[in-house]
Amino acid sequence: MSGRSSIGWTLVAGACAILLLLLWTAPLLWALSTALRPELETVSRQFHWLPQSWTLEAFAKTLGAGKLLRWLFNSFFVALAVTLATMAISLMAAYAFSQLRFRGRNIVFGVAMLGFLLPFEALLVPLFRTMNQLGMINTYAGIVLPQVVAPVVIYVFKQFFDAIPADFREAATMDGAGPLRVLWSVYLPISGNIVWAMAIVTFIAAWNNFLWPFIVVTSNEMMTIPLGLTQTYDAFGVRYAQLMAAALLGALPVALAYAVFQRRVTQGFLAASGLK
Amino acid sequence: MASVRLRDIRKRYGDNEVIKGIDLDIEDGQFVVFVGPSGCGKSTLLRMIAGLEDISAGTLELGGVPSNTVEPSRRGIAMVFQSYALYPHMTVAENMGFALKLAKVAKDEIRERVGRAAAILQIEHLLERKPKALSGGQRQRVAIGRAIVRKPEVFLFDEPLSNLDAALRAQTRVELARLHRELQATMIYVTHDQVEAMTLGQRIVVFNGGRIEQVGTPLELYERPANLFVAGFLGSPRMNFLPADLVGSPQGALTLGLRPEHLALADGAGAAGSSVEGTLGLVEYLGDVTLAYVQVEGVEQMVAAKLAAGTPLPALGARVALGWDPARAYLFDAAGAAM
Repeated sequence: MSGRSSIGWTLVAGACAILLLLLWTAPLLWALSTALRPELETVSRQFHWLPQSWTLEAFAKTLGAGKLLRWLFNSFFVALAVTLATMAISLMAAYAFSQLRFRGRNIVFGVAMLGFLLPFEALLVPLFRTMNQLGMINTYAGIVLPQVVAPVVIYVFKQFFDAIPADFREAATMDGAGPLRVLWSVYLPISGNIVWAMAIVTFIAAWNNFLWPFIVVTSNEMMTIPLGLTQTYDAFGVRYAQLMAAALLGALPVALAYAVFQRRVTQGFLAASGLK
Repeated sequence: MASVRLRDIRKRYGDNEVIKGIDLDIEDGQFVVFVGPSGCGKSTLLRMIAGLEDISAGTLELGGVPSNTVEPSRRGIAMVFQSYALYPHMTVAENMGFALKLAKVAKDEIRERVGRAAAILQIEHLLERKPKALSGGQRQRVAIGRAIVRKPEVFLFDEPLSNLDAALRAQTRVELARLHRELQATMIYVTHDQVEAMTLGQRIVVFNGGRIEQVGTPLELYERPANLFVAGFLGSPRMNFLPADLVGSPQGALTLGLRPEHLALADGAGAAGSSVEGTLGLVEYLGDVTLAYVQVEGVEQMVAAKLAAGTPLPALGARVALGWDPARAYLFDAAGAAM
């Protein structure tokens, strides 16, 4: 009896999983289907899941328009810069909060964590004014710098470092390593998986960030993909096939990156979840 | 190699003074053991010598040079940690060569020195392994090898054998003693295990509550303990303490100390004052010796006697008498000091 009910529950669970999968992938599949059909067919009154005639015309026109590759480059550069800067700053801050002893350490850490309480939207106006005064509107620095402060990343790293036995730091100190060298040669390699996880999550977030680039960028040349897609819409009018092609091309790099690194992300989060 | 001199060394955490004025001289090439119960300050003192803890007051001299504020890596000291602290992402060779790499020593020389240290410790076949692929004893050797490679003036060991099983501890003790003879190095060894202290140390420093109770050779401490604490700390089973009065003396409450191996079954007709009666409470047969525990009236802890294996004993609960040679007894005054 228990065997049959077990099979029954497995079937129910499987059916639910397939349903959820279809619900989740349906928009992506529809976007792909739209991108692979002629423009006229996208506004046809008759609904077809699959294109009546298959074509790569939308992709060709999107790539040939000249701006998409520039936007892809901007997204990649900005996301990479944000990731590297965030990792560097967060690792050093987390190491200081975790392993160094200095007056006011707990207060400084508390202030850093107060950043959790502030929504980014509340900082838009003062940040814009600051970037404007510094002459950083429509520059890579202007897009990147406000994104490199990440209290959550500092917190995750600090928790991880707290769990690493202090003997490693002391042994490295006895061997002649200063704080930066201890971080680079000992703590960073030990924390490999969690650093990868945080880096990939940061990269994806920076890639997908629309709000801040929308505020600080007005030049077409400096736009990132999420921003550029809105321009695509305006430039081409109601050209759904090209819009979907641009969206898919824009999402492809980060999707590929996640597919390549997803094991490290999972391992990193598992490692973090095992900590106090 | 170098001497170590401590003058009125103190350590405070806020208002709490944990090291209360330590004066100690360790000569070049000596193997000195710091021993004491948990929390007595021996590891803290070792860490102060290493530079991992600040010295609140007093002077530390290494090789005659005041070294209170010298960076740990510049003190000419290498330390072997209780947990070994081997970097998990580096191979054995990389672990051993890390300090030399930081010191920008040439790669050839690093390879040579690592190889030589590995040969001394017989771990050449482990050089390409990571720490997780090593047994506890192998990790211990690698940790020692990492210290040897640096050619330090002073070696510090912080309870390095506490994570090993009994058989491996005994084996490693022998190897450490051999290493000391070979390297002729100054070594300071911290342990809470009195067997390690007695077997390894040329001199033993007994700590209690942040102070030194006594310094001496193992036999000096065992045969002429300065006070109740040292007498009770060294020896297994520990020394038996019985309340005593010295007839014809106004000394007040004294303590009579008797080592278990100096007690024997008496027939009750022994010399007055050199025997005690009680009930046989427990017998432990250890193979080479037999431990008999006797409950004596008025004494809280059972009196332990170490008897030869095969000594005939009555049944548990029987009345027995234990006798001793008065010349082997110890007397301690009301303050606990040896008389």
